[in-house]
Amino acid sequence: MTTQQLRPIVSVFPIKGKVKTIKQVPLPSVFSAPIRPDVVRFVHTNMAKNNRQAHAVSTTAGEQTSATSWGTGRAVARIPRVKGSGTGRSGQAAFGNMCRGGRMYAPKKVWRKWHRKINTNQKRYAVCSAIAATAVTPLVMSRGHRVNKLPELPLVVSDQLQSLTKTRQAVKFLKFIGAYRDVEKVIRTKKTRVGQGKYRNRRHVLRKGPMVVYARNLGIKKAFRNIPGVETASVYTLNLLKLAPGSQMGRFIIWTESAFKLLEDIYGSWEKPSKFKSGFYLPRPVMVNTDVERIIKSDQVQTVLRNRRPRSRKYGKKIQRADPYEDMSVMLKLNPYYKTKLQKQKELEEKNKEERKEIVDKSRKEYEDWLYFSEEEEEEEEEGSDEDREIEVLSDEN
Amino acid sequence: MSKQVPETIKKQVKRSFNSKEVKKEKNEKRMKLLKEIQTKAFKRAEKYEKEYLEQEQKLVELKQKALKEGSFYREPEPKLAFIIRIRGIVGVPPKPRKILQLLRLRRIYSGVFIRLNKSSLRMLHFIDPYVTWGYPDVETVRALIYKRGHARVNHQRKIIDSNEMIYDKLQKYDIVCMEDLVHEIFTVGKNFKHANSFLWAFKLKPPVGGFSTVKKSFVNKGEHGNREQYINTLVKKMI
Repeated sequence: MTTQQLRPIVSVFPIKGKVKTIKQVPLPSVFSAPIRPDVVRFVHTNMAKNNRQAHAVSTTAGEQTSATSWGTGRAVARIPRVKGSGTGRSGQAAFGNMCRGGRMYAPKKVWRKWHRKINTNQKRYAVCSAIAATAVTPLVMSRGHRVNKLPELPLVVSDQLQSLTKTRQAVKFLKFIGAYRDVEKVIRTKKTRVGQGKYRNRRHVLRKGPMVVYARNLGIKKAFRNIPGVETASVYTLNLLKLAPGSQMGRFIIWTESAFKLLEDIYGSWEKPSKFKSGFYLPRPVMVNTDVERIIKSDQVQTVLRNRRPRSRKYGKKIQRADPYEDMSVMLKLNPYYKTKLQKQKELEEKNKEERKEIVDKSRKEYEDWLYFSEEEEEEEEEGSDEDREIEVLSDEN
Repeated sequence: MSKQVPETIKKQVKRSFNSKEVKKEKNEKRMKLLKEIQTKAFKRAEKYEKEYLEQEQKLVELKQKALKEGSFYREPEPKLAFIIRIRGIVGVPPKPRKILQLLRLRRIYSGVFIRLNKSSLRMLHFIDPYVTWGYPDVETVRALIYKRGHARVNHQRKIIDSNEMIYDKLQKYDIVCMEDLVHEIFTVGKNFKHANSFLWAFKLKPPVGGFSTVKKSFVNKGEHGNREQYINTLVKKMI
């Protein structure tokens, strides 16, 4: 990974005096591990089950009767009923989970699986993710920590912190470095627990404040012990349940300088394995360059793309078209010859009409001629026999 | 102060396949093509008009000649039929159902063209009770394709609204316009199959004036089966 060659620098701050950089250390590779909330959630939910204590219902609960069913024919339900008489309990239903004083459905057993095994690598993955998240200010802020006044995140502080013994000193340090606002929040929001836990020795609920991670305990544990919300942890045994409480990544962590440096050895990098976890390398991210937009818009990608296809009209508007036999423009678009065709048809019709007219005129004229001629004949040959005339008329008609 | 355009956008515009110049070029090409198609369409329509007329006249001539000689002229058997499905989809036995599917007659009052040969005549025999069919004339074919002609484009049914549509699909069969399509269908040319499959099955309306009885065959004063040239009047009522 390129981050290996150029690692960013983190300032180390003193624990009193002036808030200024006394030293600079390179950022360990863990902080560039992929931040995987899904992995952290999975591991956290299972890890959280591991500190449970077994509980169960008594094995004899609800079974300590010699109840028998009365059977049918007595106008009562067939549930087993307590034997005997002389007491209110007699004749009452027993044994069933629906009965008052009966045994529950599926009585809880101690041999329920209370703990969960998680693959070691998954656990380590989650821890790496959680540690990486503690350096991301938006994540820490969204977890609810008050980190506005901090000089830097990740917050690394000189090793002198490990030698503090008094709580007063610890509080003074927190105020000096700007972390006390988070502690104030914790104090302010201490409440009685909602629910029955309050009378089961879990009366108060506190927020989580800053976590102080050290390399060597030279008094630091006791110094910070009594400050509400503040937790201490050795860098060798970082607990996911503390790094990502409630599987929410981004705990506010104050590192001591040596603890910070040790992270490189404890979690290793992508090239060098961890010194403490055998064979463990930092998890690799799925994508190295996550700026997808940039990748898509790059020359290398754009020059190889095919043309954009025209927008499919499938779900768009339907193309309506008028009936070509009613709309001439539509007809001409489909058949440009149509107009000419109609013209020619018209001409032909006209021509036929004329011809027809000629024929009709001719025949009419002939008829009229014949009529006129026969009238003349009538006048001339009045005395002719009827038969002869009839024959004449017939022959003329032919 | 001129607006700074991001480098990526400049590159995008340069690379754009929809840039103004490219669009203009494409459009010009297309316009030229459309013009070509329309001129072709005009010439071919003219040619086909003559052809149809000649065919008719030839038929009449041959008949008259035969009459004069005292012999008979046997007209060539029809090559083209138009089938209309006149029964619904409920209660159709499997064999006719399959044949109707193969002929694309999947719903009532749908119509298709089919070329008549021994095989298709046998198919028609099986589906006679569910369809009526006959030999369409040019005007019927024209009316169907112009008024109710839809093309099968990209597995979609699209109304034929320009010759360009026909050109795109059937150019390789030398069919570029409506009249070409009509001609290919009516004369059952070499590329009848392609012209016909280009057309979606015709969706007709129920006939104006109704049917007498679909249960009887046309020959028995009903409606189904072969009605030869009377298909033309029926299509007029259904188009």
